[in-house]
Amino acid sequence: MPSILSVPRFRDAAPGARILCALGLLLAQLCLAPQPVAAQSVALPLPRLLTLTPAGFQRSVAGSEPTTIEVKVSGENLDGWEEGGQYVPPQLLFSHPGITATALLSAEGKPEKDRYLVRVASEVPSGLHDARMMTALGISSGRVCTASDHPETLRTDPAADVSQAFPLAPGIVCNAKATAQVADHYRLELQTGQRVVIDCAARGIESKLRPVLILADATGADLVAERRGGLLDFTAPAPSTYFVKIHDLSFQGGPEFFYRLLVHDLPVGAPLPARQAAVEPVLSFSWPPVGFPATAPAQESEDPDPAAVQQVTLAADAAVALDVAGRFFPAADVDTYQFTAEAGQIWWIEVASERLGAPTNPAVVVQRSLPGAGLVWEDTAEFSDIAAPIKPSTNHYAYDGPPYESGSADCLGKLEIKETGSYRLQIRDLFGGTRDDPQAIYRLVIRKAAPDFALVCWPLHMELRNGDRAALSKPLALRGGGTVSLEVAAIRRDGFDGPIELAVSGLPEGVTATGLRIPAGATRGQILLTAAESPPRAFAGVAISGKGLINGQSIERPCRLAGHCWPVRDGWSEIPFPRLIPETLVSAGGLEKAPLTLRSTAPEPIEVAEGGSFTVPLELLKRGEVSGAQFQMRVIGAGFEQQPGFELNVAAPAPVTFDLAKLKIPPGDHVLAFITSAVTKYAPAAVTKLAPDAVGEAQPPAAADVAEILVSQPVHVRVTPATKEATP
Amino acid sequence: MEDSPEHSWGEPQWTLRLRKGRISKGIRSARETEMGFASRRQRSQRFPQTAMAAMAAMVAMLGMPLVVCLMGSMVTAAAPEAPADRPVSFVDDVVPFLTKAGCNMGACHAKAGSGQNGFQLSLLGFQPEEDFEHLTKEARGRRLSTAAPEQSLLLLKATAEVPHGGGQRMAPGSEGYETILRWIREGAGPGPTDRPALASVVVEPATCTLPAGSTQPLRAIARYADGSQRDVTALALFESNDRARAEVDAAGMVHLGEIPGGVAVMVRFQGNVAVATITIPRGAPLRDLPEPRNFIDTLVFERCREVGVPLSAECDDATFQRRVTLDITGGIPTADAAAEFLTNASPDKRDRLIESLLASSAYADWFANKWTALLKNRRDDASDTVSNFAFHSWIRDGLLANKPYDRFVRELLAATGTIVENPPVAWYKRVKEPKEQLEDVAQLFLGVRIQCAQCHHHPFERWSQDDYHGLAAYFSQVGRRPTSTRGEDLIFHKRGVAAFTNPKSGARITPSALGTPEPTIPADEDPRLRLADWLVRADNPFFARALVNRYWKHFLGRGLIEPEDDLRDTNPPTNPLLLDALADHFRASKFDLKDLVRTICRSRVYQLSAVPTPDNASDLQNFSHFLPRRLPAEVLLDSIDKVTGSTTTFANLPAGTRAIALPDTSYNRSSPFLQVFGRPDGQSVCECERVQSSSLSQSLHLLSAADIKGKLAADAGRADRLSKEERPDPDKVRELFLAAFAREPSADEMVQACGVIAEARLGADGQPLPDQQARRENLEDLLWALLNSKEFLFNH
Repeated sequence: MPSILSVPRFRDAAPGARILCALGLLLAQLCLAPQPVAAQSVALPLPRLLTLTPAGFQRSVAGSEPTTIEVKVSGENLDGWEEGGQYVPPQLLFSHPGITATALLSAEGKPEKDRYLVRVASEVPSGLHDARMMTALGISSGRVCTASDHPETLRTDPAADVSQAFPLAPGIVCNAKATAQVADHYRLELQTGQRVVIDCAARGIESKLRPVLILADATGADLVAERRGGLLDFTAPAPSTYFVKIHDLSFQGGPEFFYRLLVHDLPVGAPLPARQAAVEPVLSFSWPPVGFPATAPAQESEDPDPAAVQQVTLAADAAVALDVAGRFFPAADVDTYQFTAEAGQIWWIEVASERLGAPTNPAVVVQRSLPGAGLVWEDTAEFSDIAAPIKPSTNHYAYDGPPYESGSADCLGKLEIKETGSYRLQIRDLFGGTRDDPQAIYRLVIRKAAPDFALVCWPLHMELRNGDRAALSKPLALRGGGTVSLEVAAIRRDGFDGPIELAVSGLPEGVTATGLRIPAGATRGQILLTAAESPPRAFAGVAISGKGLINGQSIERPCRLAGHCWPVRDGWSEIPFPRLIPETLVSAGGLEKAPLTLRSTAPEPIEVAEGGSFTVPLELLKRGEVSGAQFQMRVIGAGFEQQPGFELNVAAPAPVTFDLAKLKIPPGDHVLAFITSAVTKYAPAAVTKLAPDAVGEAQPPAAADVAEILVSQPVHVRVTPATKEATP
Repeated sequence: MEDSPEHSWGEPQWTLRLRKGRISKGIRSARETEMGFASRRQRSQRFPQTAMAAMAAMVAMLGMPLVVCLMGSMVTAAAPEAPADRPVSFVDDVVPFLTKAGCNMGACHAKAGSGQNGFQLSLLGFQPEEDFEHLTKEARGRRLSTAAPEQSLLLLKATAEVPHGGGQRMAPGSEGYETILRWIREGAGPGPTDRPALASVVVEPATCTLPAGSTQPLRAIARYADGSQRDVTALALFESNDRARAEVDAAGMVHLGEIPGGVAVMVRFQGNVAVATITIPRGAPLRDLPEPRNFIDTLVFERCREVGVPLSAECDDATFQRRVTLDITGGIPTADAAAEFLTNASPDKRDRLIESLLASSAYADWFANKWTALLKNRRDDASDTVSNFAFHSWIRDGLLANKPYDRFVRELLAATGTIVENPPVAWYKRVKEPKEQLEDVAQLFLGVRIQCAQCHHHPFERWSQDDYHGLAAYFSQVGRRPTSTRGEDLIFHKRGVAAFTNPKSGARITPSALGTPEPTIPADEDPRLRLADWLVRADNPFFARALVNRYWKHFLGRGLIEPEDDLRDTNPPTNPLLLDALADHFRASKFDLKDLVRTICRSRVYQLSAVPTPDNASDLQNFSHFLPRRLPAEVLLDSIDKVTGSTTTFANLPAGTRAIALPDTSYNRSSPFLQVFGRPDGQSVCECERVQSSSLSQSLHLLSAADIKGKLAADAGRADRLSKEERPDPDKVRELFLAAFAREPSADEMVQACGVIAEARLGADGQPLPDQQARRENLEDLLWALLNSKEFLFNH
């Protein structure tokens, strides 16, 4: 994975991406569009790249010519645009500059819809790379593709039974997609004693497939199955044809259920191979701490005796007293570390296991040996989950929080030694009572306080009541005049409780960013990205970060961006799954403008004395029909959340007055904003009749009600210290 | 072959009776009790005559030893202690009479039944201390009058001298009446406080063999902690577990019927139970018993010899193949497989067939179908789909890999994590509360129906509320947290010392496994793992027996204990030695399910013909012949598909998915066939939820339902294909019979069937149909007739 602080590459890969749009014409089209009655939908359309076929390719050998491969894409709102009277097809972009794509041209020299020729240079590392599309509406959501070291094939023909089975060979990656209500069949010829390990990459490459792997005999009768996304390990008892069957756990299928199948040929007894590359889950953002070694210097003893104790020494002068790698294996494993500690010592304990990708729920108990009482242990401390910085949505009927789990089942906490003596630390997996999985690894760290923080953010999502998750996949494609909010969550480590200032750098022209600081002790903040009224068409990879003052030093930490892999429209039957996005791309200057802009008309910053009051005059720019006469507004921004909500008159917004004495806002620079959800009439702007699929299209698209978050542009407030006269 | 509820004491049946508005056992017993009170003296006078008559009959039939045994039991009975020698004890004297009179039964004044008119007594007097309070202090003491004891409302109501909804429960002057009257006269106090505690109750004789139609008196002896004993026959409750074989009156007199076999009589006194088991021999000679193939044969043959029930002959190859294929894989053999088996001359072809069936994935499908219903894998919401598929697959894959049964149960019982990562967690989605968890585990894996003990001492068993809550305590530390899927929790061990609060007493009950106390479980240890450890212990009397009994019923049509999940002292097995031997074998095999199936199917007992002999036709207990049973709903549907050459489509599943491979019970809703033929909905852990009885609607469905017609007339179906093939008709008939019955047609059948195929047919316009169309319709008719035959509909 490339570093998130690396120089934006999409800009390099997309020359000529800065393009001005004929926005005035489009706005007129929006206003004049017919407005039939239609059901209300959620969130304005955004470009989303959903599939690449194939989902990966073999990288070329170092020093050789680039590999070329034909790729087909699909998604939502992946239209091209008009530039200088010419149709410009959407651009397929990759996060590594060594991967480039050009639109395939038909015999007539016109770009073929959704088809590209991809070139993979030899310097491209193996692993996952993000693909995106630059479209009429801006930058799309990403989709990973794999650069592998294996030859690749693409299965497109049906393989619904043994007679249609597709031949497999060890060491060759087969790209395919599952078909609904069908098990895909593959054929393998194996010799007696030949061992194969079958790896099906699916969820790890953002597929909706929950793969079921079945190995069957020559008649198609099932022999063994693997249904939890793991490896299928099989040694042939006899020379024969065997069949591999693959289907979704609940027999769903379609283009979104793609997978990459790889058969490893291994000697019996050899360790299992590494899995195919997989995306990072959101909760992994907080591991490892910056500067932490990739591997632990020590390994647990793995004594099979459950009563075994590992003696360790916590050196009083060591920054890291214990850093050990272990396993929750075999089932119901308990690892015990015994040590002596002095009264007054304070240690921080952190366990990573779930964040390492293991399906575990580690728990730690520290107990003190009661003197003179034999082997009697008294609880000193217990550690379990790392609390979510922002309570995630239950994902049930109502969407009542962000649909991202940023906490973890891992452990992080403070151990205060109050009495000198002998202590033991026991670590166990609350999910491990019956599971014998040698892959259930953990890393245990006992250290002196190393205050720090880790950040993750995601586009703010609308609170919903009807299970509609259409808004879950949100690329940062800003409409002209629009403001998008990113919600930022912080995991604070080892007692750090200072404020965290949020910032964004590397923005495209016409886009500004304002961080709403995470106050001292808090774990939640926001970042507002605002596009100018008519910014040039452009996109850029940006770096989001937070700064905190730790031990008198300003420490900057990156803020990872999370996003959902799929726009999910029925959260009851399809559970959305998010991931960390390797690079944060922001675009502006697309085909459309934001339907509403809310902003302050006061000169900025607004200066006010501590304990005083100030008024924010508001202006609401409407670029289309608005549903309702009032908006229920609330205020965001550190310290300003206490301001009571208010009704905003859509026709003539009244100024809002803030009483700093009530809000107890200290002197300094502050930022606030106003937020609500609004329903507007939306009709998509016509792209161009030059688009390959738009030929002959006569009717303009119908307008429909769309509910969307409305965030005001930020309001900067400078609070000056109160004078003696002002504070009796 | 559904058992009548009358054959069991099980609580569900009892409840059923009450719901149906029929007279409850309690009321009937109470009425009989009153008669028994009045005739106690007569009974004691009559006893010698009836006993002598019985003995004479036995001497004639069985020889002397049993009679000696019986006489021995008669003379060793202790003399009853006379209550007149001491003040009346409320607990020892009054409560038993109230129980015998039925006052504290569910429909009368039992608290469990809400207690008529506010007068509440503990069920069957299990909490006499509370009963004392209710009787003497409630309703401002109006139920008793120490000033005028005869005018006490309790007595006036019991004797119906004032209107009483329950009618007369005691005759004035009866022993019960006099005892209660004397208690009131003595001040209606608790009575002597130095009375020894009741230790047990025994019945005499405990076992005996008696001829059909004879009678046998039973005596109930209460044994106390100080070694004393008391004849409590007049106070005890008696009940037969098979009224077709034996009735027992309130005085303990057993009246045997004419059906040979075993019958048990439960004797109940103050929370203690004892059982008298009586064998009614047929007395037919057993000659030329085949050589046993394994211990099953040895023990079944021995039992048949004991009861004088001869064996039917061994079934033929065709019957065996069809039977074993149905039982192991939930389907009938294909016509080709049937033909191949019939022509196979190998002497071990039956064993080889068993092996091949066990190795097939259909075995896993069929038994997964059985377990998913019992484990309540039902779909209540669309969001259940993934979890249900995952859970079903986990069960199915485990069976395919022959995961040992103890591991299967352990992984289920102590499941943690999320459903997708660890599918047995899905069980905790359906069974959310500790009490549901313990009840399901007890019934499903231990064969113990402990539900009653939640509120009161189990009426038929030794289980107390503490036993119930002790079992619940194993589940007290199951932690839950919502996941991203609606309705799903992740499950983890919640740190803490396991204990369950008795909601009534407030006492914290620590884990104990049905009478086996558990050492203190540390807060960090998941108590469910201790329960799983206990299940597989060699001295666990339930775990292995419950499973082998369940599987025995699967293959033989009737459990050694019925119902198969109701193992208790008062419900003895029909062949205890066999049950123990099967359990020992299963344990010794390390809980190998395939080995158990193999052992049962290889036995000669399993391979006996379903055609009875005159001497074993009425035998349902000793497995002297195979018990035919209707094909289960899913199997029948699959079999019809197979014979007709059609398929049934199930939503979102691959074409060709068999009904036995359906992942959950949701498909019942869209399939009238599965509903009509009783596929269970996964609402309970009881196999009785599957409807195996026959009904008019089933007959009508098979005769004329649109889906059946469609299958018969399916394009490219068997009738269509055969009508187009240029083969002699006898070949086609042969294929049809092999497909439907796994056998060749007889000469008569061949003639008739060929005649049907060749018949000319007229169309709706009265004109002859073209030959090919006529033949196709004739073949459809022939298929229809085969499908509606008992030979097809039954596993025989």
